[in-house]
Amino acid sequence: MVGVALAALVAAGALVTSGEAFAAQTQVLETGSTLLYPLFNLWVPAYTDKHGDVKITTQGTGSGTGISEAISKVAQIGASDAYMSNAQMKANKGILNIPLAISSQMINYNIPGLNGEHMKLSGPVLAGIYDGHVKYWDDAAIAKLNAGVKLPHQQIVPVHRTDGSGDTFIFSQYLSFSTPGWSKSVGYGTTVSWPAVQGGIGAEGNPGMVNALKGTPYSIAYIGISFKNATDAAKLGEAMLKNRDGKFVLPDQKTVKAAVDATASKTPVDERVSLIFAPGAESYPIINYEYAIVNTEQPSEMAAALKSFFTWAIDPAAGGSEHFMTAVGFVPLPPHIAALSKKQIAMIH
Amino acid sequence: MTFRTWLAIIAGALPASLAAVLLFLALYAWPAIHFNGWGFVVRDSWNLGNLYADPVDIAGMSVQPGAQYGILFLIVGTLLSTLIALLVAVPVGVGAAIFLAEAVAGSLRVWISFFVELLAAIPSVVFGLWGYVVLIPFMAHHVFPFLVDGLGFIPIFAGPPGSGYGLLTAGVLLSLMIVPFIAATLRDALVSQPAPLREAAMAMGATRFETIWRVILPGVVKVLISAIFLALGRALGETMAVLMVSGNALNYLPQNVYAPISTMAAFVVSQLDSALQDPSGMAVRSLAEIALVLSIISIVINAAARLMLVVWGRVGRPAGAA
Repeated sequence: MVGVALAALVAAGALVTSGEAFAAQTQVLETGSTLLYPLFNLWVPAYTDKHGDVKITTQGTGSGTGISEAISKVAQIGASDAYMSNAQMKANKGILNIPLAISSQMINYNIPGLNGEHMKLSGPVLAGIYDGHVKYWDDAAIAKLNAGVKLPHQQIVPVHRTDGSGDTFIFSQYLSFSTPGWSKSVGYGTTVSWPAVQGGIGAEGNPGMVNALKGTPYSIAYIGISFKNATDAAKLGEAMLKNRDGKFVLPDQKTVKAAVDATASKTPVDERVSLIFAPGAESYPIINYEYAIVNTEQPSEMAAALKSFFTWAIDPAAGGSEHFMTAVGFVPLPPHIAALSKKQIAMIH
Repeated sequence: MTFRTWLAIIAGALPASLAAVLLFLALYAWPAIHFNGWGFVVRDSWNLGNLYADPVDIAGMSVQPGAQYGILFLIVGTLLSTLIALLVAVPVGVGAAIFLAEAVAGSLRVWISFFVELLAAIPSVVFGLWGYVVLIPFMAHHVFPFLVDGLGFIPIFAGPPGSGYGLLTAGVLLSLMIVPFIAATLRDALVSQPAPLREAAMAMGATRFETIWRVILPGVVKVLISAIFLALGRALGETMAVLMVSGNALNYLPQNVYAPISTMAAFVVSQLDSALQDPSGMAVRSLAEIALVLSIISIVINAAARLMLVVWGRVGRPAGAA
């Protein structure tokens, strides 16, 4: 009996001491945006291969959680598609919003028979769908944009995000900037008070949105570009959106880069800016910076690890290379924006 | 003396902790209670306001412009889903209890009862996952369209059959979770009804059904009612399973049984990280107010159930006292 107890103690001691060897690793927790999550999952193995002293754990929990856990220091890297508001920056001094890449958002739908075509939609029509004015798929407003397409007389089921979401932020900004009525009544944010639409569904995370679309005929949802593989595999439709110049565009490298060229110059030093509804005939209207929300005050090893990782991530030869960007449909930061990001990264100490 | 004081402290800690939880909730939610007023339970709209504008000052409290909190749709969702759960679970539970008490005997009764009670051991998130993966597509493709065809003339069964996420699915899932409570409690009560009562009824020429329906069951009606209240208490607080199948409706009341809903418990979970985005903090306090409302309802119902069980007893009346 005593012998068994002694043996158990020795074994436990051995386990504890062997754990000491791993304590030398810096443990970094990244949490937040499900739109940035697929890219982080590509970055982390590639980075930690060369830097074995860092262990990065990734989570896809929504931009809202990313921001709040970065502020409360539960997570070292908060991933967010939304920059923090002025009130949040005032309340939490010493937080940086560092763009790492540029992403975009698709509008997907599930209309049996029409998923193969790209329906044309605009900001005002989408605002009408999400606030209940446009109830049926064959509504005059949709038919006007899609002449010649046989639209079914079925109720539209708008799907929105229940969690605090950067995708909600950029989608509601597109609606706000393109539709004065929406801007006044609902506005934009990582969470908004969605108008009452009978049958409207809430889903959690981008994967939840894809799933809700898959299972619900005649539904429509806003999904991040990094989930294009999933929406294509599920044979969901993707809409062409009307940009500020009145042209209908799909999100691809050309249209996103056109929008970046038109708007990136107005990026301020703290890099909190909206790139939504950019001017230009080829610009895609829903693009955004993917932010890492980071506290400037970090323990010294953590600061060094974070600086090294972020520098790697925005380096066009490393994390910002074609290989990573095209895998998720993102676009790398233009050189002058990358320079601004580098200045912010240097502020971590 | 010291042993008694220690016992008193430990024994007193339990009711004290109940009071402490309620007190904490009330104190934390007090600014929200003050801001929302009585309109909280009758307003239909949960609005965090403009999160990207600067906070404004309303009646001495700092909130985001446009913020207005109302939980009518949550109360309706909670009550309706619990009602449907009871409507399904009570007949099934009573039927199962009668079957177990009257139709089987010996080790067969022991084993089947064992499995019925084991249903209560399944964690609710497992029910939620099963509902998400199996029940929702099943309801959407095989049950709802037939209900619309067959019962569509009744307003609540009419209209678009939806996608499976909704009130009826949540109600059915809840009923699966509360059936063991009703079946097990009622079975114990039926079994402990005295044999002379059954023998007397049969001696008068009653069939087995008449014996159960007219003689045995009326004796356990009070136990049935308290079991229903216990099941009701469980269903009200059920969070994870409902969160995964209810469709998370926001700001509207369901127009038919297939429509998405939200319940108070599930809402607090799904909205917590959104509420943390509110720099003024009013949103989190309003969630605490929802939690307070839910706790009070749940405590009242559970207290009523326990009191009924104590006053009327878990077993039937002794022979001769009829």
